[in-house]
Amino acid sequence: MVKIIIFSLTNRFGVVAAVIAFCGLVWAVPAVANAGSQRLVLTGSSTVAPLINEIARRFEAKFPDVRIDVQTGGSSRGINDVRKRIADIGMVSRALKPDESDLLAFTIALDGISLIVHADNPVTGLNRRQVAGIFTGDLSHWRAVGGPDARITVVNKAEGRSTLELFLDYLQLKNSAIKPHVIIGDNAQGIKTVTGNRNAIGYVSIGAAEYEVQRGAPLRLLALDGVEASVENVREGIFSLSRPLNLVTAGEPQGLTREFILFAQSPQVHDLIEAQYFVPVDAN
Amino acid sequence: MFESAALRTRRKIRDCVAQGLIYLAVMLVSLVFFWLLVDLARGGMTHLSWAFLTESPRDAGRAGGIASILVSTLLILLVALVAAIPLAWSTAILLAELVPAESSFGRSVRFSLHVLAGVPSIVFGLFGNAFFSIYLGLGFSILSGGLTLACMLLPILTSTAEAGLRAVPDSYRLSAAALGLSRTAALTHLILPAAAPALAAGLLIGIGRALAETAALLFTSGYVDRMPGSLLDSGRALALHIFDLSMNVPGGDESAYASALMLVILLLCINILAMKLAYGLQRKKIMT
Repeated sequence: MVKIIIFSLTNRFGVVAAVIAFCGLVWAVPAVANAGSQRLVLTGSSTVAPLINEIARRFEAKFPDVRIDVQTGGSSRGINDVRKRIADIGMVSRALKPDESDLLAFTIALDGISLIVHADNPVTGLNRRQVAGIFTGDLSHWRAVGGPDARITVVNKAEGRSTLELFLDYLQLKNSAIKPHVIIGDNAQGIKTVTGNRNAIGYVSIGAAEYEVQRGAPLRLLALDGVEASVENVREGIFSLSRPLNLVTAGEPQGLTREFILFAQSPQVHDLIEAQYFVPVDAN
Repeated sequence: MFESAALRTRRKIRDCVAQGLIYLAVMLVSLVFFWLLVDLARGGMTHLSWAFLTESPRDAGRAGGIASILVSTLLILLVALVAAIPLAWSTAILLAELVPAESSFGRSVRFSLHVLAGVPSIVFGLFGNAFFSIYLGLGFSILSGGLTLACMLLPILTSTAEAGLRAVPDSYRLSAAALGLSRTAALTHLILPAAAPALAAGLLIGIGRALAETAALLFTSGYVDRMPGSLLDSGRALALHIFDLSMNVPGGDESAYASALMLVILLLCINILAMKLAYGLQRKKIMT
């Protein structure tokens, strides 16, 4: 039907026909769509969305009459949409908070967060106290932590991002205590900001940062409290700044929702999880 | 005598400086455009191929192509235009031809359109999400995305069309009346064709804005990069795809560049096509 509209636009008579056909379509389509395949809607974290998109594609290949729609907007939106029943499953890139105990969480992978600086910066590691000092503005020069004689540019994440929440939780700080110079959204944006500024410090997903370093981006992952920031150490569980990537539902999952969650936790998708630079978890 | 010669050279120098500055400004403007184009072409050329245009994205958009994204984008654009053009252009005809320019009705319509034109696109996105997606139950779909864009396009299309209709000389209307043409006949055979280039220009601005839209579509047409099967499916627009690739997907830069290049090419093609159509229409209608 859609093709008919496009092609009939070529002549003037067709335009009129197209308008009429379009009006018809608006009325006809809902009935068709409702009668058709089963549909699953997921919304939430932009970190998890590309991964779930890939898992969904493989799931659809296995069950051809299922359609899975993945939408993003951040973890908070995932929680909201599941509560309002707009989405069947929410994607949340952190552990659930105490006031979210009405929801159920299913961990599908782990992700670590690493502090990153420009490769020209001689600093190789920081401890928790130094990090807190830098992000609250108490330490404003790199010299205070063994770096060059330059002011520190603090790159923080935007409100509502779970990377930010995890980071604040680790530092035991409130967001209002942080004095950022730059506020960013997604991981790749953070990496671009730091590679473009020799004196910047930011924090992003370890997998994304390691990938960019492999591709030759001028970037260094800082060791935290003496532990190297690497996917290996996240898997071993010795890197303290790591988080679970969860699927959340508003009640005990049933039917298609349950099928999909089990599929996303199964070893069948471990290669997809690794391809997006996350760490698979064992289902048991 | 000597003094006036000095005065003349001083004026000449001043003229030259002014002219030089103007040329410099023009060069700066075109430099920005060419820099952008060269940067896009250099980053995207190697990745752009026939396969890139005919495959669906794989591996979060790092591999594969943008076929499904292009189809979604064109569908969203089509929905937006089909919904917005009749409303906008009939409003423009009303404002320019049927209602006196100074009437309070015309003023209030124009005022509300101006306010609408100033609303940031993210607000349209939130409105579209609340009204089309949730209240009307269209969900994340090409339809709700297209209708949201239509709301955004209304003020642009209306005000450009109204300005175009007003630019048609009154002597045309008087001559048509003198020849005994009805108002409708004068409108369809004379005034609209005469204003066609202006309508096309407004349409192009609208299409440009619609194709570039990211914020309003994130909440309405959504993020799904599958080939859409109907207008009620969610479909990712090209601008949103570029945003996601460059800001959310590590290693998506090459595909982002190629997609951006494709967006620019698409815009250029639509521009050329619309201009050709408008001038053709004008010549055919007025000359015969």
